[in-house]
Amino acid sequence: MEFIDYYKTLELDKSATKADVKKAYRRLARKYHPDLNPDDESSKKRFQQINEANEVLSDPEKRKKYDEYGKDWQHADHFEQQKQHRSQSRGGFGGFGGSQGQSYSGNFDNDNFSDFFEQMFGGGARSRGTGRSPQFKGQDFNAELQLNLSDVYTSHKQTLTVNGKNIRLTIPAGVENGQTIKIPGHGGPGAQGGPKGDLYITFKILNNTPFKREKENLYSNIDLDFYTALLGGEITTDTFNGKVKLTIKPETQNGTKVKLKGKGFPKYKKEGELGDLYITYNVKVPTNLSAKEKELYTELQKLRS
Amino acid sequence: MNLDELIATEELCERYSVEHTFIRSLTNSGLLEVITVEKREYVHCDKMAEFEKMLRLHYDLEINLEGLEAIKHLLDRLSSLKEENLSLRNRLGLYE
Repeated sequence: MEFIDYYKTLELDKSATKADVKKAYRRLARKYHPDLNPDDESSKKRFQQINEANEVLSDPEKRKKYDEYGKDWQHADHFEQQKQHRSQSRGGFGGFGGSQGQSYSGNFDNDNFSDFFEQMFGGGARSRGTGRSPQFKGQDFNAELQLNLSDVYTSHKQTLTVNGKNIRLTIPAGVENGQTIKIPGHGGPGAQGGPKGDLYITFKILNNTPFKREKENLYSNIDLDFYTALLGGEITTDTFNGKVKLTIKPETQNGTKVKLKGKGFPKYKKEGELGDLYITYNVKVPTNLSAKEKELYTELQKLRS
Repeated sequence: MNLDELIATEELCERYSVEHTFIRSLTNSGLLEVITVEKREYVHCDKMAEFEKMLRLHYDLEINLEGLEAIKHLLDRLSSLKEENLSLRNRLGLYE
């Protein structure tokens, strides 16, 4: 555990008045409040630090203790015990009463005070809320699930373990890379009887196939031999879920694109509907020509010129 | 409309210790959708996260109604830009 400079956290110096603390806290809280910085872990962490600093500096008793023992926090308990012993002999020690500060609430995890704070002031030392005692929804959990592209071609059920609990969920076909789905009621417990938070799962889809995907459409390249491109013919090629026969038109140019309707990827939450597969032909020109081939191609060239 | 998914505004006021005028102001500004069933006003449970967010911003950060409207607008824009960014990133993968 490291010493935390709460003055530095609130960008104040030691002479700051209670009004200065309040002002600095409000300014920083407005900047880093998690509701204003969604999905930003660094802001959330900073906000927790600001909350903790305010918890101490806005409460004269806590601030006094912090100022007195701050850097020697490791010995604070020992000093306190001695002080308590002395005070009790004079008629009692008040300890830390209710907070006079203000800390912000929310469905984010502002209970994560530092070990430094817990050691110095104990777990029950923090104040809560602004005087209102609303029921708040529990913390939302975020998880990442890594799947292969082929895994999300069909809807399937999967069991996940989140915070030690097994959750069985249906992963709909066609889910996209980076897409987040919400599982209601699988987050943290609510505060003061409030509802549970939600679980947000972000999918990371790894493409383990030769196909490129854009939403429900797939793209692939096929090497086409020169003669089939020139004279036409039939080839067999892979689609995502099998092979198809394709008719190649005579004189097909390099880079020609064809669309195979309904041979793409499933549309998200539209059962039975599929996107299209776009195939680009790469015409491969023959190499290592024999003398005879060269002669014949030269003849052909003469015919064209 | 399934009544099980609706929370009466009176209950919200009681549970969150807020005045009904706060809910009324959010509704009038288009920040909260209130559903009236048999002359009783309700909020759909899906809108609770948004309601709680407005509550925190208003009471904790002392942001007034105009501020809430501006924040909501900007957060909605941020969300749609994030979606667009994700879609463009996925498209970019086609050319990598």
